[in-house]
Amino acid sequence: MSTLVLDNGANFAKIGYSHEKVSVIPNGQFRSKTSRLKTFTASQLDEIKDPSGLFYILPFQKGYLVNWDVQRKVWDHLFGKDMFKVDFADTNIVITEPYFNFSSIQDTMNEILFEEYQFQSALRINAGSLSAHQYFHENNSELCCIVVDSSFSFTHIVPYCRGRKMKEGICRINVGGKLLTNHLKEIISYRQLHVMDETYVINQVKEDVCYVSQDFYKDMEIAQLKGEDNTVMRDYVLPDFSSIKKGFCKPREEMNFTGKYKTAEQILRLTNERFAVPEMLFHPSDIGIQEMGIPEALVNSINNMPEEMQPHFYKNIVLTGGNTLFPGFRDRVYTEVRALAPVEYQVSVVLPQNPICYPWEGGKLLAENPDFEEMVVTREDYEENGHYVCEEKFDI
Amino acid sequence: MAEKKIAVRSQDPNQRRVLDSATRQRRLTRQLEALEKDNFQDDPHASLPQLVKRLPQFDESNESGKRRKKTRGDHFKQRFRKNFQTLLEEEDLSVSEGPNYLTACAEPSKFPLRHFCALCGLPSNYTCVSCGARYCCVRCLGTHHETRCLKWTV
Repeated sequence: MSTLVLDNGANFAKIGYSHEKVSVIPNGQFRSKTSRLKTFTASQLDEIKDPSGLFYILPFQKGYLVNWDVQRKVWDHLFGKDMFKVDFADTNIVITEPYFNFSSIQDTMNEILFEEYQFQSALRINAGSLSAHQYFHENNSELCCIVVDSSFSFTHIVPYCRGRKMKEGICRINVGGKLLTNHLKEIISYRQLHVMDETYVINQVKEDVCYVSQDFYKDMEIAQLKGEDNTVMRDYVLPDFSSIKKGFCKPREEMNFTGKYKTAEQILRLTNERFAVPEMLFHPSDIGIQEMGIPEALVNSINNMPEEMQPHFYKNIVLTGGNTLFPGFRDRVYTEVRALAPVEYQVSVVLPQNPICYPWEGGKLLAENPDFEEMVVTREDYEENGHYVCEEKFDI
Repeated sequence: MAEKKIAVRSQDPNQRRVLDSATRQRRLTRQLEALEKDNFQDDPHASLPQLVKRLPQFDESNESGKRRKKTRGDHFKQRFRKNFQTLLEEEDLSVSEGPNYLTACAEPSKFPLRHFCALCGLPSNYTCVSCGARYCCVRCLGTHHETRCLKWTV
């Protein structure tokens, strides 16, 4: 009996058997202008020679699974003989879902897991619960923690106490990696070069070049300086997929501050975009989204919790999700929360080694837990009782 | 568009069209929704003839197909193709009690808003009279009038 842990995310699916390592695979299908006939599924993305103008077909919309056709195709590929060769009758599956997932989606998921794929048993759980499980395992003495899951579609702030999530404290900010990439595409398209179609390339730019500034206004002033004094400015060389396969940031020594470059490369010059884009996580109102940023929402969420638990939450803030990989993210969250939290409480913000796979590791841990058998719903159970048993057992 | 704009300063104030706040709000909502899109280009396969898609795919799904239950063609597809908005409405969250998807959304920030120039990204102090976009200096305003001001309406 093996257990497959699948953190089913909107951008990447983190999948692996609980006794093996995790693989991070894009969760969607892709079409390219150059290879006209083929639709690339999941990991076949690496086979595409020319990812310019790549067309994304993602099963998730606003963070919730709506397009089951595409999701089934991706899962067929992942569970099939090219990838994990799953023997369904002998496998348990731990699969993650977003918070407050709609009941119609949950029912459909049950049907697909049990009736179509016919897994032996299944456990549907929130990704944050797996992160909290991992965190409590690493820090045995703590009772409460608050998980900040900032990922592709949105950001959730979820308090956990003794392993259970506190629904009243869940806060959702509708800013995620997708929004940041699209915003970066818009501003580059307006100011320099039309890149609205190039999600893949600009995503790479965002990951390579953007950072979270510790002092926003000071960095803004530096970005306005000209020439060598402007330490914020960077030139990014765009890939042309024939000689330059992957875009990269030019090192400062090679940068030409006056005049134009002589070579034929396409260059993007980025100054305030570097830190203004991740700033949207902290101030969504910069772009017109009337919501609080991450530090404010954290403090707001903790204030909704009972008084006696509040100091415990401040001491155990866990950052997960892809957006936390921006350089300076953790320090910025710490500074802002420290400024907003009451003086007598101790504030501690933890950024794990691998924030993207942290929930997956929690799932791996859970699969090895002796209580695991009681938490899952077996196929026989489901066939007898239907959706009801899943609603009862799973706390989504 | 009735008026043609030639230069910034020589604009007769009576000729410029000014958008009211409701229109500005609609434009803003449109822009925010555009940020949620996956793709800004069309499907490269959209123009291919249907015949290509019907080619049999000899992959592993055929072998395990016998094990699976037969799915009822169209009904299956119909159920699985709803979009997010439909699903949200079906949930009918206004009648449920306790925390749900809608209540979990973050509230507006208590901190004052900051505005940035739409052209260069630096902090802005001024607003375009016609469309409400922000700018930081007169040069940016000029570029804005030439390129984006009222170029599309909601």
